[in-house]
Amino acid sequence: MLLQIDFKSGKPVYLQLVDQIRYAAASGGLRTGEPLPSIRPLAEELRVNRNTVAKAYAELENQGVIETIPGKGCFLKESNSPFTKSARAKILTKEIDEAVVAAHHLQVDRDAFLALVKERLDSFERKVKEKSDND
Amino acid sequence: MNTDSPIIEIQNLSRRYGKLDAVNGLSLTVRAGKCYGFFGRNGAGKTTTIKCLLNLLRPDSGSVRVFGLDPRTDEVAVKSRLAYVPDMVAFYPWMTVRDTLEYLASFRKHWNGDIEADLLKRFQLDPKQKASHLSKGQRTQLALIGAICPEPELLVLDEPTSGLDPIVRREFIETVIGAYQSGDPGRRTVFVSTHLISEFEGLIDEFTIIEQGRELLTMEADAARDRFRKIRARFAEMPKLNLAGALSVKTGGREIEILANGNSEQLLAELKTHSPEELRCEALSLEEIFVASDILKKAKA
Repeated sequence: MLLQIDFKSGKPVYLQLVDQIRYAAASGGLRTGEPLPSIRPLAEELRVNRNTVAKAYAELENQGVIETIPGKGCFLKESNSPFTKSARAKILTKEIDEAVVAAHHLQVDRDAFLALVKERLDSFERKVKEKSDND
Repeated sequence: MNTDSPIIEIQNLSRRYGKLDAVNGLSLTVRAGKCYGFFGRNGAGKTTTIKCLLNLLRPDSGSVRVFGLDPRTDEVAVKSRLAYVPDMVAFYPWMTVRDTLEYLASFRKHWNGDIEADLLKRFQLDPKQKASHLSKGQRTQLALIGAICPEPELLVLDEPTSGLDPIVRREFIETVIGAYQSGDPGRRTVFVSTHLISEFEGLIDEFTIIEQGRELLTMEADAARDRFRKIRARFAEMPKLNLAGALSVKTGGREIEILANGNSEQLLAELKTHSPEELRCEALSLEEIFVASDILKKAKA
């Protein structure tokens, strides 16, 4: 898992870390039981205040995403915690929004857009099915 | 110590050199455990303020408190709890790196030898090297080791990275975050004056911009990046726009760039009603906010 800070986003730095770690947890970049980087090396690497990283970890622990095992560090908790579904939806929302904006610029209307989404979903599911049939 | 009581408290500080007002009614408060940025152009009054904190200069009026104490009357008590790295570092030329560190340690009650060994290794400083043979970067590194090993509650940095190469600057900041801040985070306060703001961006919790000896802006870094935004839009044809409340507006052909001061939502809504071909909004970095401070000043006036 590699983290990155973007000061141009205008989002508080600790929240950027929280979101990125939640994203990594939801997308498989960080697996259950895998350790998170320790606070000091991560702060040094990102060149952000040590307290900012500590605040992000405290927030993640509060949300039940990670747990601290004294002397060992922070670990991603058992998955399927209630947030995961909403976190996944949030990630997807961003991607869908981009497609919606693109559709708007290309003057593709609502029905044509939805039809296209359906068509792509069907196509994807067909491919997944073919692949599993072949295996 | 109560963590709510401020580490530095400056109230209405003024200091003149002859007829020149170097600092003119400055107030600011630095809370424990924070990293406080003190930004200003050359000659804005940064170093004068810092010298008043250290009793290297006496204020003409106003009050300065460090750890709740007056540096003029409790100089030793104040100085034993802080460390200072100035922009120009000088050591006795006949001393080696080892001699210099032992000399600095002799003034301190506490000296962390593990940190010293770690940092000497990290900076690849040879303890047998004469101080007079060190480069500017190495002298700053030596000064930083001397400032961090006593594990002071307050680290005062005055333009610490100016004139250093980018790699040494990076290492400097990593050392402040790592070796210094990690010790006992609640009791590790940093007060840093700099105009190389982008490098300290991630470290700064709160900052003051000083201009001609007066405070121009004091804010928390996250709040500042949220408040000051740059909006760019391009239209098929430039419409008549109502941009009252924008800090500044720049146009070029069919493109427009607007600085927003806490009103980006309202400005974005106005731009959207004219269906722009392209619309982007981003936060200003602390450095960009500093550069825009001329505009801010006009907006304030």
